[in-house]
Amino acid sequence: MRNFMLAIKPILGGLSRLSLYISGIGMIAMTLIVGWQVFGRYILNDSPSWSEPLSLYLMSWFIMLGAAVGVRESVHLGLDIVRYVMPPAIQKAMDLLSLGLIVLFGIGMAYYSTLLAKGTWSATIPVLGWPGGTDFFPMIVGGIMISLFALERFVDVAIGEEIAADVLVQEAA
Amino acid sequence: QVTLRSADIHPDGYPTVDAVKYMGELISQRTNGRIKIQVMNNSVLGGEKDTIEQTRFGVIDLNRVNAAPFNNLVPQTTVLGLPFLFRSTEHMHKVVDGPIGDEILKAFEPHGLIGLAYYDSGARSFYTTKKPITKLADLKGMKIRVQQSDLWIAMMQAFGANPTPMPMGEVYSSLETGVVDGAENNWPSYESARHYEIAKNYTLTEHSLNPEILVMSKISWDKLTPEDQKIFRQAAKDSVVKMRELWTAREKSSEAKVRAAGANIIKVNKDEFSAAMKPVYDKFVTDAKQKALLEQIQAVK
Amino acid sequence: MAYAILFGSFTFLMLIGMPIAFCLGIASFATVLYMGLPPIVVFQQLNSGMNVFAMMAIPFFIFAGDLMVRGGIAHRLIRFAAGLVGHMRGGLGQVNVVASTLFGGISGSAVADASAVGGLMIPQMAARGYDRDYAVNVTANAAIIALMIPPSHNMILYSIAAGGNVSVADLFTAGIIPGLLLAGALMITAWWVAVERGYPADPFPGFARIGYYFLASLPGILLIAIIFGGVRSGVFTATESSCIAVLYAFLVAMLVYRELNWDGFVEAVMGAVRTTAMVLLVIGTAAAFGWLMAFLQVQTLIIAAISAVSDNPIIVLLMINVILLVLGTFMDMAPMVIISTPILLPVVKAFGIDPVHFGVIMILNAGIGLNTPPVGTVLFVSCAVGGITIREAMRTIWPFFGASIAVLLLVTYIPALSLWLPNVFK
Ligand code: NA
Ligand code: NA
Repeated sequence: MRNFMLAIKPILGGLSRLSLYISGIGMIAMTLIVGWQVFGRYILNDSPSWSEPLSLYLMSWFIMLGAAVGVRESVHLGLDIVRYVMPPAIQKAMDLLSLGLIVLFGIGMAYYSTLLAKGTWSATIPVLGWPGGTDFFPMIVGGIMISLFALERFVDVAIGEEIAADVLVQEAA
Repeated sequence: QVTLRSADIHPDGYPTVDAVKYMGELISQRTNGRIKIQVMNNSVLGGEKDTIEQTRFGVIDLNRVNAAPFNNLVPQTTVLGLPFLFRSTEHMHKVVDGPIGDEILKAFEPHGLIGLAYYDSGARSFYTTKKPITKLADLKGMKIRVQQSDLWIAMMQAFGANPTPMPMGEVYSSLETGVVDGAENNWPSYESARHYEIAKNYTLTEHSLNPEILVMSKISWDKLTPEDQKIFRQAAKDSVVKMRELWTAREKSSEAKVRAAGANIIKVNKDEFSAAMKPVYDKFVTDAKQKALLEQIQAVK
Repeated sequence: MAYAILFGSFTFLMLIGMPIAFCLGIASFATVLYMGLPPIVVFQQLNSGMNVFAMMAIPFFIFAGDLMVRGGIAHRLIRFAAGLVGHMRGGLGQVNVVASTLFGGISGSAVADASAVGGLMIPQMAARGYDRDYAVNVTANAAIIALMIPPSHNMILYSIAAGGNVSVADLFTAGIIPGLLLAGALMITAWWVAVERGYPADPFPGFARIGYYFLASLPGILLIAIIFGGVRSGVFTATESSCIAVLYAFLVAMLVYRELNWDGFVEAVMGAVRTTAMVLLVIGTAAAFGWLMAFLQVQTLIIAAISAVSDNPIIVLLMINVILLVLGTFMDMAPMVIISTPILLPVVKAFGIDPVHFGVIMILNAGIGLNTPPVGTVLFVSCAVGGITIREAMRTIWPFFGASIAVLLLVTYIPALSLWLPNVFK
């Protein structure tokens, strides 16, 4: 198990970096699009109608991929005071339960988002003209990535490895 | 005993909300209290697009939505929103009460929805903050807020305006600060969203009479016995009569309130505005079904 | 029973240390399964919860703040503040508060404020004989000013959580006087503690020097004017102003100060992704949770429960303040605003309290909560920057807490402090 984890770790690490870069590019694109929206409306007096739906679509990708990276890097945004005072064995059990549930939630997200995409495929997204189901693509991919990264950490905890990356991240307070 | 949930985006006391409540009372009476309807209004279950999906998937049972959000699902509904399609409210009532209306309601069924009734939504007109619209040329280059919808964006372009899509929640402050020069809506919304406080020029273009539609989830519908389905159809029909009374009263009271607040109400020559709409018809009435529907509606005397 | 599953599983998952975004999502999912509703509704609501244009302001303001720190805008503002008030008693404490206020005018993040202002001020203060606990406490408490003075992405969060019907422009304007009031109260406290402890004052640098510092920091101060003026004159909306802040900060850092390089830029981008994606996911899953609360009509129960205790608005507001302060001790700002606003806003509305006024109360409460352990992000960051333990900081934080609570009570019971300015601008 340990050897297997060591073997796939670089792949998962690469996937996580890729997600982070796509999110970052998404945010820069969002900045340019919203900037263009202001410019178009105020300077050209020709409001682009695609800017809002397109930047929202990019934001969905930004959130889902960024959050998947957050799962891998253990970006917390939670309450770990109770966990902190528990003995190590119970801490481990709590972590396994929490990560296991996140794996299931990620699978559920991917599965039900696929159903939603199918069910809304025949409708059209206004302005962009795409099939309605494309709206759920970020959640399908994000759900898979979330469960993949949570599974990686689940195995790490189970066999007693250090977490993939321990990035100290400040919350957006 | 079952309680069915019905969604609505409008606040308490709005005619659509009260009409569905009234329909619920009728159904409760006629089923001896077996079936009740609970109206969950104020968008608590989500926006119109969300609740349409929830109704299709059977999460909620009934839904009262404007015809516009159905455009991308049921193409026939697009025709109802065309500018200056209806010559008058009477013309609109005649169309939706007759076989044409029934036919459009039937078109919902393949999408998991049962069309039950049409409610009034009044006539939509423009309102602006600084420059009043007295003729078509005044709209040229004006930033007008629209719903995020292809039909409405094309309509504003045909009027010569700069259509600016924006969520309803941002409209008040955008009018106030000048991000947009105006918007368009019916009397009750112009009043209840308090837009008349800052956009004082209301120009009676009455460019659309797009109705509201009451739909039921096909999943919930199929659970009803044929007798109960009949009761639902009849109660929906009865609620339309009630709704039209409520609507007329509400329109009058909103208009009175807006006038009392000193709004500048402008009458215009509608023919000039209507003549500019040909590109919209060309763009949105494309397939044979829509063309036939349009001709049928125009032929109703 | 459905209530018990919804709130019980949420609490349990939170206690085992699960990230809040997933606690909300999984609790909603479990409840929907129990009720026999189609589970897709959870993910549909998650999707629409993420599709709100105003939410874009959160990554943008965080990104902009980071660019300001890396690009040299922040430290020039602090130098200007030092020139202005450094000669007062406890000078550097005063400088810290004024710098936080100025920086708060271009950033909406208390954490960014604490790390930017604290990072530069605390070492200086320690070198000049100020105790570290004093430096840390001034920094941590003054950082809250950034939340009150516009721009503030937390005000935008509140507006989203309130259903998008509370004007962000009004919220921004409403925060100004309470923010300045807080700044004033903290300056008085900093002065009083400085006198007690016998801290020095700097010599007056002279008007010429202050003028020079002012000119050097002008691009930063201009951003305050651009954001506020741009929103108020209709060039852009409050949401769009966050994007303008990014573009402006980028241009100033690249072209005027020339302090931002490629690596710094990439780090700022990645920092913003890491910091905000999870918060935005919380908004999404909270939408699913909120949908279930509406479906189960939880708000009605809460209004009934509060009305049963008292129907006097003064008592109700006091109760709500206590609830929020307690919630604030163990919840971070964003989840707290997102979760408690849809529950409490209908309650206070039922008692005739203005949503804009309540927004200011909510943000100030959540802001104070950023300095209260066990979950006190701003205090933790300030302690880390100052190199002292949380225990050491807590021992002497009380006068500053006292000042914040006093301002909170004033803001709660004098609605005009929040509502007068937005009305002036109407
Ligand atoms: Na601020
Ligand atoms: Na706290």
